[in-house]
Amino acid sequence: MKGWIGVFVVALLASGLAQQTVTLQAWTIGPEDASRTRATNLVKAAEELNRILEAEKAPYRVRVETSFETTGWDNYRRRLLLAFQSGQAPDIVQTTHADIGVYAEGGYIVPLEEYLGRYRTFQDVIPALWSAVTYRGKRYGVPQDTEARPLYFNKPLLAKLGWSSGQIAGLPQAIREGRFTWEDLIRVGQEAVQKGVVQPGYAYWHRPVNGPDFYQFYYACGGTLQNPQTGKLVLDRTALGCMYGLLGRLVQTGVMTRNLLGMPWANWHNTVSSGQVLFASAGTWTWAQWATQYYAKDHGGYDYLWRTFGFALQPAVRPGGKPVTLSQPQAYLVTAASRNKELAVRLLSLVTQPKYDAEHALGSAHLPILRTTYVLPEVRSDRFLQSVRYKLDYTTYQPMSPDWGVYADAVFRGISAVESGQLSLEAAVDLVAKDLGAKLGDRVEVR
Amino acid sequence: MRGFGVRLLFLGPAGVLALLFFLLPVALTLLLSLTDLSTVTFSRPRFVGLANYLELLRDPFLPLILGNTLKYVALTLAFNVLMGLFLALSTSLLPERLGDAFRALWLLPRITAPVVYVLIWQGIAAVAPYGLLNQVTGVSVNWIQQHPWVAVVLANGFVGASFGMLLFSAAIKAIPPELFRAAAVDGAGLGATVRHVVLPLLRWPILFVTTYQTLSLLTSFEYILLLTDGGPGFHTTEVWALHAYHLAFSNYYGNARFGLGAAMAAILVLVGLWVSLLYLRLFNFRCLLEVPRIEVD
Repeated sequence: MKGWIGVFVVALLASGLAQQTVTLQAWTIGPEDASRTRATNLVKAAEELNRILEAEKAPYRVRVETSFETTGWDNYRRRLLLAFQSGQAPDIVQTTHADIGVYAEGGYIVPLEEYLGRYRTFQDVIPALWSAVTYRGKRYGVPQDTEARPLYFNKPLLAKLGWSSGQIAGLPQAIREGRFTWEDLIRVGQEAVQKGVVQPGYAYWHRPVNGPDFYQFYYACGGTLQNPQTGKLVLDRTALGCMYGLLGRLVQTGVMTRNLLGMPWANWHNTVSSGQVLFASAGTWTWAQWATQYYAKDHGGYDYLWRTFGFALQPAVRPGGKPVTLSQPQAYLVTAASRNKELAVRLLSLVTQPKYDAEHALGSAHLPILRTTYVLPEVRSDRFLQSVRYKLDYTTYQPMSPDWGVYADAVFRGISAVESGQLSLEAAVDLVAKDLGAKLGDRVEVR
Repeated sequence: MRGFGVRLLFLGPAGVLALLFFLLPVALTLLLSLTDLSTVTFSRPRFVGLANYLELLRDPFLPLILGNTLKYVALTLAFNVLMGLFLALSTSLLPERLGDAFRALWLLPRITAPVVYVLIWQGIAAVAPYGLLNQVTGVSVNWIQQHPWVAVVLANGFVGASFGMLLFSAAIKAIPPELFRAAAVDGAGLGATVRHVVLPLLRWPILFVTTYQTLSLLTSFEYILLLTDGGPGFHTTEVWALHAYHLAFSNYYGNARFGLGAAMAAILVLVGLWVSLLYLRLFNFRCLLEVPRIEVD
């Protein structure tokens, strides 16, 4: 009997001393394939963390289980929402900074202030990106990447229109200096349609679904989205009218097709990247997406893209005006449901290193978040990153507010109504103002 | 007492199911509709009384959405019942094997998964060089965006028509052949036979199909969600149930408002009840359930 007790005690001790494995779950999204490093870099950082834990003789190791969403933001956000509300949330979620307002108000994510000071790697993050993840004075996330949204132009099509190579190469600078505006784009677009260089409606395309890009027009029109004093959302009727006017004109002049909204993304990417559209607003990441997923993939990849496309800021609305772009930084957030918050932040401190930052930026055509990354030789010699970097000086952001979803949905319905010809721009502005007034009351300032 | 026990035994299981899956959800929906439950307030919802209902009254788009709902139900219902009737009558006239094959063809939309079914529609309607319709007609437009109502009614109708078709075909088969012979002897042609023999005998299945489809159309929105998502523009094809779904589960930046969505759903429950009672009265349901005055063996 005594013997058995001895065996039992030894077994118990052994199991206690045996190494524990702590599993951290992380949900990430592209949706483009090229951004898969948002998940794989976490796995690499976990391997690094385990080597450190081994050196520290810690009694546990870390295992990271990642998921990478490729379908779309709508699905991903719904999945997150259901996970938060059923108490099944993972430890880490990656999402856009604009979601922080809703998730923080709902108590689904935690502020990271108490942990962030412990790790030196975080000091290297570009300060403006910390502001993008700060809500009510607290930092709720660790920046993951940032980007800009260029206006792509098709070089062979411009050449067919009679542009010299010097003129084509000078277009980004002309836009930057406010010499080439939306009015010029409409003029060139109409010419391209008249001369048969592109099909009617294929001279300019914006994204085919709801999303942040549209606020570039609103900002270019001088609009404000949030009152910095009160934190309330702002609807500037003049800027909204200017934006709807511009989008309406793009359709009426035959520059942009009426059939754009509702087009499947795959058709959009294939049509633009195969060279059928003269100008298109998209993201820096689209560059990598085209090279790895769509038409360009089988037609020469990056070489084809460099031959075919140039990129610039989104033009100003009037001569001498300011061109813009918009950034939607991504961030890793730590959920309130996580039982290993401290460990999660420690993992994030390791993924926030120039080598991973550079790998992600180079592979996915997003912009790095660390100052050191920009001086790495491989980043300095990357033609694309170096050519788009200046756009960050012209960038704008979306506001962080729990009401932003209601606002953005209402404005998008207006866009859809104006482009489909359902409403005049004045009627659309009135309806959006009325709709937001009814839904948000005094939480929105209508000017 | 024994009689009561037997009744309980027979009604019990169905009663429990009705309680769990019909009455309880209605009660929960009503309860939710009186709170401000949303993504933001999920852990601390507050009781807000009728505030959600008042907010709905202030919504400038509600009359439009209500109109859309009536339009959707009326048009799709008309398509479903009339097309179902037409299919049942025409396939009954065909030789049996051919009729069965034709009916099986019409069942395809119903047994195809909605997402796949809508993907096929999108494939047909896309702009050049992708769409089938634009290759046939030579007109490159996104047909779903250009004619959203036609797409919504037809996509739903092709699924719904088979329901009436099956029930009506079975009912036509059940009509005693003597009646057709008698009609023929009296000199009735095809039109007169259908009008004076078949249609009167189909009254009960028509009532059932109309009632059932009205109620299911009132609450169905999945094909609209997938086809147009309520657009294009300001709620062009947004119906009541879809709007409730949008409020409760889906907006681009994820602050879902469950309380407000529940208020819309609660109103839909009441409308559904009212419509059911109206139909029962309209079709003289009591008369249909009466014990026949003459018993025929």
